[in-house]
Amino acid sequence: MSTQTLLRLMVLAVSALIMSCSGNNEAGGGALSGDAASRVYVAPGEKDEFYNFVSGGFSGQLAVYGLPSGRLFRVIPVFSVDPEKGWGYTEETKPMLMTSHGFVPWDDAHHPDMSQTGGVADGKWVFINGNNTPRIARIDLTDFRTKEIIEIPNAAGNHSSPFSTENSEYVVAGTRFSVPIPQEDVSIQQYSEKFKGALSFVKVDPKSGNMNLDFQLLVPGFDYDLARAGKGPSKDWMFMSCYNSEQANTMKEINASQNDKDFIVAINWKKCAELAAAGKGSMMNVDYAHNVYNDETHSASHTMKKQVRVLTADDIKGALFYMPTPKSPHGCDVDPSGELIVGGGKLATVIPVMSFSKMLKAIEGGKVDKMIAGIPVLNYKECLAGEVQRPGLGPLHTEFDGKGFAYTSFFVSSEIVKWSLKDFKVVDRVPTYYSIGHLCIPGGNSTKPWGKYVIAYNKITKDRYLPTGPELTQSAQLFDISGDKMKLLLDFPTIGEPHYAVACPADMIMKNSKKMYQITENKHPYATHKEADTRVERKGNEVHVYMTSIRSHFAPDNIEGVKVGDKVYWHVTNLEQDWDVPHGFAVIGANNSEALIMPGETCTIVWEPKKAGVYPFYCSDFCSALHQEMQGYVRVSNGGSGQLTWNKR
Amino acid sequence: MKYFMLLFTALWLVACSGNNGESAENKSFMEAQQPKKTYGKIQHVDIGEGIDGTMSKAGKEIFDMKCNACHKYDERYVGPALGKVTQRRTPEYVMNMILDTETMIENDDTVKCLMQEFLMKMPNQSVDEKDARNVLEHLRDHAKSAQ
Ligand code: HEC
Ligand SMILES: [Cu+2]
Repeated sequence: MSTQTLLRLMVLAVSALIMSCSGNNEAGGGALSGDAASRVYVAPGEKDEFYNFVSGGFSGQLAVYGLPSGRLFRVIPVFSVDPEKGWGYTEETKPMLMTSHGFVPWDDAHHPDMSQTGGVADGKWVFINGNNTPRIARIDLTDFRTKEIIEIPNAAGNHSSPFSTENSEYVVAGTRFSVPIPQEDVSIQQYSEKFKGALSFVKVDPKSGNMNLDFQLLVPGFDYDLARAGKGPSKDWMFMSCYNSEQANTMKEINASQNDKDFIVAINWKKCAELAAAGKGSMMNVDYAHNVYNDETHSASHTMKKQVRVLTADDIKGALFYMPTPKSPHGCDVDPSGELIVGGGKLATVIPVMSFSKMLKAIEGGKVDKMIAGIPVLNYKECLAGEVQRPGLGPLHTEFDGKGFAYTSFFVSSEIVKWSLKDFKVVDRVPTYYSIGHLCIPGGNSTKPWGKYVIAYNKITKDRYLPTGPELTQSAQLFDISGDKMKLLLDFPTIGEPHYAVACPADMIMKNSKKMYQITENKHPYATHKEADTRVERKGNEVHVYMTSIRSHFAPDNIEGVKVGDKVYWHVTNLEQDWDVPHGFAVIGANNSEALIMPGETCTIVWEPKKAGVYPFYCSDFCSALHQEMQGYVRVSNGGSGQLTWNKR
Repeated sequence: MKYFMLLFTALWLVACSGNNGESAENKSFMEAQQPKKTYGKIQHVDIGEGIDGTMSKAGKEIFDMKCNACHKYDERYVGPALGKVTQRRTPEYVMNMILDTETMIENDDTVKCLMQEFLMKMPNQSVDEKDARNVLEHLRDHAKSAQ
């Protein structure tokens, strides 16, 4: 069957599916009994069983939901500015969004992955990739804030990222777009000769979580798509899928779908890391940003780094192989035992399951079909554990329940298919509404899945919700997988595009959740630790207001002596030391956002008044019965001495 | 919002015998009215005859950072003046106001009445027991030198 016919067939299948379902709500929900409702009902005041961290896709953020209720608790700003939280607007957070291209206020965030200890999710950090301007962010799960963002040089479209190794020694970053390395002004026709792929290994400090770009592998210019680290016996290896082995540079939907098989790259990262540490390869001049948020100063710093170690196939002989895999693979998922590697070929008619032990034998026995740019291509059959026959159309991604079953999402036929890891036979299938992308089982990518639910992250919602104009909500669906048959329990709407997600038991994270920041430990250079120290200082045309907030007043709250043309820095310290008492700070005409200041924290908003007058500022987060009284005035003059006065405490 | 609601619940539950700050010298609940029962986790505090100057000094540091935005010594501010609080309240009451604020606000009738007057719930400022004891010493020191 030609690709053309296959594609046409798939389109037909999708439309048939959508049509047949849109008129028949029974299949999607109407037939559900009250039983399903009680399974997802979390009574008022009670708490959910799991946290679900869902990427916001093109929103650039990370959303936090509870399961099984599907309730949204928080949107953590990561790669996109968020005026509600001052993210990217306060002086403290602006450096987080700096890159080699300057300040970048948006990205496309795809794959959250949780830090692991011994192959099990440990609830410390979530890593997530920024696709468009290649970056990896680390989110701290004690206060649900982004603490670090590292840019990935030589990459373009950081898609195959940031999957973590068994003890989060490394997170990986494979490039979706190959580009000239180093960048240069060449003809796009020179793709196959000039364009290369960079696969980056970012080392994670086990204590602080700090990330450091350790080394990059320079590989042929394919499109690197998804990855998963090995575990148990395969723990030293990283597996990464890639397509466009044709190296097409135009109309990829056709031209990158010619070959019968593309590849899963098998990388012995442990060996590569040792070779890199021993000085193999060479240092290359690059420019990339490394931004770190400091918990003590409540402020971020931005540094540009200049070099990266690059290794080529010649430098790492015996540590890099290609395993053929049927057709334009997406998922590349390792089962809880670490022995099976499941490919998800978007255009494949089977699900290939590769065997780690057979792969090692094939390497040992030299079962190599050919070499590509110095990289051995192993024989498909020699590495194959088995194939799941007639699974569905467009297999994408697989997770595991820890009870011997795998669950694969099928985009084209819009379903989840459950199959046995013993005999690779399909045992159950359920439709999703509609066109599922990734799926998630709590811990389903680890050695210890909590196999109670599978969640589908869908690409299309069509008729499932009240319409909201041309742009509809995106959504997820929760299925019970505790029995033999998967059972739909709940649809819930999501922000942005719910691209992928991780989930873990709530108590793992709840017990470490911070309630506030200690004011005694606040080392912000402009912090005001007591009301007696509040003041206003002039440095040329800069005015620094050292302000405090506590229920329900600002100190100072009357300021005079500011001049048109001054740049006013409002450094507001929240003196509260109790849970759930943030204060806001907003001043008329500010060209940025509010500041939302947590107890014990200091935030800075810059304000440049343009006309003389007396202007109010106020607390924007309802904090007490006297919240409406929490306000003040600043007087702005044309000229004058600029001598500052304020009401002293 | 949580606090707001709590506040009003509390308001309806207690009947208070008058309203004023420390400056008002009439006979009211503000004066020497000891709570019958000691609420909160501190059931007994040992205090010495004199004042421990070192403790008082350490207590002032904490007071300036965590209390002074709401409490002055001689004037009513966001909360009651505390310059002579140790003359009208027991050491246990003061310690529990600092360390177990929530319990006091929920149970102690004196505090419930103060809330009616000051229209807000005093926040727990996350002070540890040693620091709270130092703050108490500082307040005792202040009351003594003010005499
Ligand atoms: C945000 C304002 C605020 C802060 C900060 C605050 N308080 Fe209070 N305090 C109050 C209010 C208001 C009351 C009256 C009771 C109520 O409404 O909760 C009060 C009552 C008290 C009382 C009882 C007074 C009496 O006459 O019975 C004591 C003692 C006290 N506070 C001590 C402290 C100490 C010590 C600190 C610092 C560790 C502190 N407070 C911090 C607002 C505050
Ligand atoms: Cu406020």
